[in-house]
Amino acid sequence: MTLLQAVKNFVRSKSIHVCYVDVGSCNGCDIEVLACLSPRYDIEQYGIYVHNNPREADILLVIGAFTPGWEDKLRMIWEKIPDPKAAIAIGNCPISGCLFDRPHTLIDPPAAKHIPIAAQVPGCPPRPTEIISAVLSVAPLVFRDYEVAKR
Amino acid sequence: MALPFTAYMKEIFRVQWLGTFLFAKTAPLVTPSYSRGFPELTGKTCTHALFCMMACPAPGAIHVIRTPDGWEPRINSGHCIRCGLCVEACPNGVLASGRILESMFYDSTRLSFSFRIDVDTSLCMGCGNCAVACPVNKLIDTQMAYGGRASTDELLLRVNEGKCTVLHAEKCTGCKTCEDHCPNGAIRVARLLEAVHIPEEEV
Amino acid sequence: MKRTVDVSIPLGPVHPCFKEPARIKCETRGEYVIAAEVELGYMKKGIERIMRGRPWQEVMFLAERVCGICSVIHNMVYIEALEAMTSIPVPERAALLRVIVNELDRMQSHILANFSYCYTIEHETLAMYLLDIRERVMDELERITGARVTCAYIVPGGVRFDLRGEDDLHLRAALAIIEEEMTRYLQMFATGPLIALRSRGIGILTKDAAREAGAVGPTARASGMPETDRRLRHPTYQKIGFSPVSRDEGDNYARIMVRFEEVLASIGIIRTCLDLLQPGPIRGGGIPGAGEIAYSGEAPRGELSYFIRTDEAGRVLDISIQTPSIMNIEACCHAMLVGVASLADVSSTFVSADPCIACTER
Repeated sequence: MTLLQAVKNFVRSKSIHVCYVDVGSCNGCDIEVLACLSPRYDIEQYGIYVHNNPREADILLVIGAFTPGWEDKLRMIWEKIPDPKAAIAIGNCPISGCLFDRPHTLIDPPAAKHIPIAAQVPGCPPRPTEIISAVLSVAPLVFRDYEVAKR
Repeated sequence: MALPFTAYMKEIFRVQWLGTFLFAKTAPLVTPSYSRGFPELTGKTCTHALFCMMACPAPGAIHVIRTPDGWEPRINSGHCIRCGLCVEACPNGVLASGRILESMFYDSTRLSFSFRIDVDTSLCMGCGNCAVACPVNKLIDTQMAYGGRASTDELLLRVNEGKCTVLHAEKCTGCKTCEDHCPNGAIRVARLLEAVHIPEEEV
Repeated sequence: MKRTVDVSIPLGPVHPCFKEPARIKCETRGEYVIAAEVELGYMKKGIERIMRGRPWQEVMFLAERVCGICSVIHNMVYIEALEAMTSIPVPERAALLRVIVNELDRMQSHILANFSYCYTIEHETLAMYLLDIRERVMDELERITGARVTCAYIVPGGVRFDLRGEDDLHLRAALAIIEEEMTRYLQMFATGPLIALRSRGIGILTKDAAREAGAVGPTARASGMPETDRRLRHPTYQKIGFSPVSRDEGDNYARIMVRFEEVLASIGIIRTCLDLLQPGPIRGGGIPGAGEIAYSGEAPRGELSYFIRTDEAGRVLDISIQTPSIMNIEACCHAMLVGVASLADVSSTFVSADPCIACTER
């Protein structure tokens, strides 16, 4: 690894850009991610910035059980994120389908079937503190040993 | 009146600012004690009453499994919704979560279970799978064979005149084994959960 | 008559201002928006399909997860429908505690809606102030019920946890702070010149249009229809005595101001409830039986109706839910988004109606 790459990786792990996508949740996890922005938890003091553009993001927060409306669209969003990247499943829905994984349901959990998931935050919904600590613990692992693949 | 260049530099490179820029001062990430977390074991002995699994609304969130030391409830964190019903339902106080146990003592409330078996006679074809599968029947009549016919009347359910009949509904433990074994979905067990206030004399 | 449309511009489904996926198709001529259409269908989970045939106890948790923002009112309406069906009595203390928790939930929902609006019109300072004060409300909610969002607090015949003496004091102290801060933010919103530029006279919903579209909740009350408040027909609220907030302008400004004033009104209701609380039982017990009922209550976004049919063992045979957002979205795209002067106002007008897509599609 070149020195330049090492410096890049260090800087990347200190400034994490997060994009979140709601693939059919009940809004509960949605507003808990929103609450991370609040001055009490203040996600930006840890160097985490919330974007809505996947092309600017490093980490994708997947919220919600997978509804049929998102078939192949989640994959498209995932492919738009530049490398290095990781996806975190927030809440029970993308992990197991939560209460909605019953007979006659329309959803198609888990989200790991559709995109690779690096970490999971269980809870229905998880507390903002749990979300922040999950992002903070995953980010260094993703960016530590990243190298641009040689063609 | 423009400030000199050094004043700006002094402002930018002051020690306090550099400290906060490079080493972000993090607010403590604490969970308050009154928050309902994932249920934890208190160390009391589990008697395999299975009320936690019956009360649980989430599919696959809690299982009571056998360990070398006895029975032990296991919480699957990806499924558990942290409602705390298992904590309330447990008669022995094996699980704890947040302030629930404390609150139940403070409010003197408890959960009571009752069960109700419904047989849809238009669907039942008298195969007797339910009567053979029933664990309560197994305890009463160990000789019970296929077809669900038995000599004793003490059974929970048995096949009578080609239809499944419930003899002693009060013996049901709500395990839903019969429901799983019925090929037609004719037998259905309802678990009726009632939260009641204990009168002060009983406490 | 054939309309001349330059470009049909889609907003969404993933848009920074909407937290949930919804697509607005705007037909524009230049910068003017002639008409708009809201396209849904990204969140359909089929909750009502899952609910059918399940015992009432599991449906209670599913009903709570219809909407994560206003989960308490879904729980309350569902449980009160079952209670009215089987005539289960509720202890007086439990009825008052339900109102307290419901009003706390309404407060956090309204503050969140106002946060989204301020964030959409790029007034981030006020938005962050509001999000900070919301955390205090969430703290009180967590202190009473044990969970921040999906509380699972209301059960047939009462509530799950009692309000303790120290929580009572903590709640009163927090209410004083929240009231002071909210009054300050209300003044900031009411007198801010930039806010008025982005809000006054934009997205007007007249009283006739609101009645025609069946608008409910704060959206209708901002257009001068205070009688749409279902709380006026709830026995506990009738006992407490309260008067609904209403305004006549019907624009974005009025809708946000109605929410601000309702938060202050909720603080008053909670104080009255705390004063009326008498020691007593909080759980009376009772098992829902067979029956059929239609029941409605006032959610933070408007009228919420449940139709439930159960069998003797308490299994839900048939259920249908009518959530308020569907009417408000209709009112939004048929009345508010017609003839908007600028494309930039479309997102803020849509957010000012406080649409909850998860509620709408279930």
